Amino acid sequence: MENYWNESYECMPREQLKELQKKNLIEVVEKVYERVPFYRKKFQELGISPVDIVELEDIQKLPFTTKDDLRDNYPYGLLAEPLKNITRVHASSGTTGKPVVDGYTKKDLNMWAECAARALVCAGGDSNSVVQNAYGYGLFTGGLGIHDGAEKLGASIIPVSSGNTDRQLMMMQDFGSTHLTCTPSYAQYLGESLRKKGLTPDDINLKYGVHGAEAWSENMRKDIEEKLGIECFDIYGLSEIAGPGVAIECSDHSGLHIWEDNFYPEIINPETGEVLPDGEWGELVITTITKEGMPLIRYRTRDITRLISEPCVCGRTHRKIDRLHGRTDDMLIIRGVNVFPSQIEEALLRAGEVEPHYLIIVDRKGALDTLEVRVELGDSLKLNTVRELEEIEKKIKHNIHSITGLNAHIVLVEPGTIPRSEGKAVRVDDRRKI
Amino acid sequence: MIRQISVFIQNDSGRLAHVLKTLKDADINIRSLTIAETADYGIMRLILQDTDKGLEALKNAKIMANETNVMAVEIPDKPGGLSKLTDLLADANIDIEYAYSFLPQNTSNAIIIFKVKDEDEQKVIDLTQADPALQVLERDTLLIK
Repeated sequence: MENYWNESYECMPREQLKELQKKNLIEVVEKVYERVPFYRKKFQELGISPVDIVELEDIQKLPFTTKDDLRDNYPYGLLAEPLKNITRVHASSGTTGKPVVDGYTKKDLNMWAECAARALVCAGGDSNSVVQNAYGYGLFTGGLGIHDGAEKLGASIIPVSSGNTDRQLMMMQDFGSTHLTCTPSYAQYLGESLRKKGLTPDDINLKYGVHGAEAWSENMRKDIEEKLGIECFDIYGLSEIAGPGVAIECSDHSGLHIWEDNFYPEIINPETGEVLPDGEWGELVITTITKEGMPLIRYRTRDITRLISEPCVCGRTHRKIDRLHGRTDDMLIIRGVNVFPSQIEEALLRAGEVEPHYLIIVDRKGALDTLEVRVELGDSLKLNTVRELEEIEKKIKHNIHSITGLNAHIVLVEPGTIPRSEGKAVRVDDRRKI
Repeated sequence: MIRQISVFIQNDSGRLAHVLKTLKDADINIRSLTIAETADYGIMRLILQDTDKGLEALKNAKIMANETNVMAVEIPDKPGGLSKLTDLLADANIDIEYAYSFLPQNTSNAIIIFKVKDEDEQKVIDLTQADPALQVLERDTLLIK
């Protein structure tokens, strides 16, 4: 028997859901046209106004919003509400240039918490759950997003935030945590640390992991599940739209239900902007049809996925996005070939005998791009003969070639020598000076 | 059976020195050493006077090290000494995966360390019994040589 947080919304018949989406879309378009000069100008340039939006499909007439638009309007240029109505401000870590800012009204925070609560229920949560929230608290949406969702759910929250691995493990042993919420790379690191301490999943009460904020492979999921003895759920969110809880896997693990009553999804060809039919891979575009503080129209997430519209066994009617293939900006173009770090990871783990800790080094010698993949050997490897190691290299090389078509130089390194991260993992070192 | 330690060494400057310093600081004598190398890394094989202590010191220093069983045979230190052994093994179709010599301090004979498949180990023992010039050494006898 499937549990829901809000069955009437989560299982709303598609036709009714579409009506709701249409109504919300029309409202949000009117609002941004009236209140956000940036959007009014963009609409006018395209010769459209809110009266042109009558059906849901009319969304395709609307302009896209990009991350650059958010930067150009830093910090508050895209707010549709006066600052006095803004309850909280989040900002993304600006690795390049200024951070991207998002303002939430009370109603927005409530909507986000509702979505996060639905997500936690999908991941086996209820009021008895003890949620060890190891997402970073602060400007990053991960910590507070899960926190608010767990609070709405009525679970017990341990707001431990990220980092301090020893303390995380102690809490897992002593506090009876049932859920671990953090980035997948940190979950993996915690699993590894648990093992290093000589502990097993039997020493902790953890049952479910909720992980997102970076792309991760099925093999990485298996690794975390095995090391921590849990069932992992992929969660999706992005600071420009709302943090974790925009989409989540149900127990069928066949994609992530995107809460379409709040976030209207489209998939486009990232090069042409053309809208693609459900099932085709492309860039995810989201319109926040219920947000008040900073509604975004057709925001280009840069995440590569596809929409799955086949009915789900869990009974939820909201479409699913497939597990992310990466981001358009994680995408490396090597010798003219599009490569995602997740593909390299897949190749490594399929080869076995190595750990999912790796670094992709891209460089350029003369006119030719070089691809080097450094990967840690498994700790227990016998090291009998060089031939065995060469076989592992050969297998990885072969897998990378069959997945990407590229020849890579494989460098096996000692376990534990590739730097670990407590936040988002650093997988790529692009040394090309172009 | 002889306990050998295999150490994975990245081809970065100072890695070998780091391994050797770790053993020095733990006061472990190396009785025999060989390195098999590729362009990017090497495998160093060691026979240590104190295997357990050495393995612990290496693991504490986060050096990737694992144990393998190898064989040791004492042979006459004169032309043809080693080929007595290799002839025997070749005739019996036993492959040697790798071999290196041990530095004895208390005998004028030579000692060869080598690796065969686990299932071939007993065969080697049986074959060498026929020739008094070939002496299979156990761990304790090897380390006092």
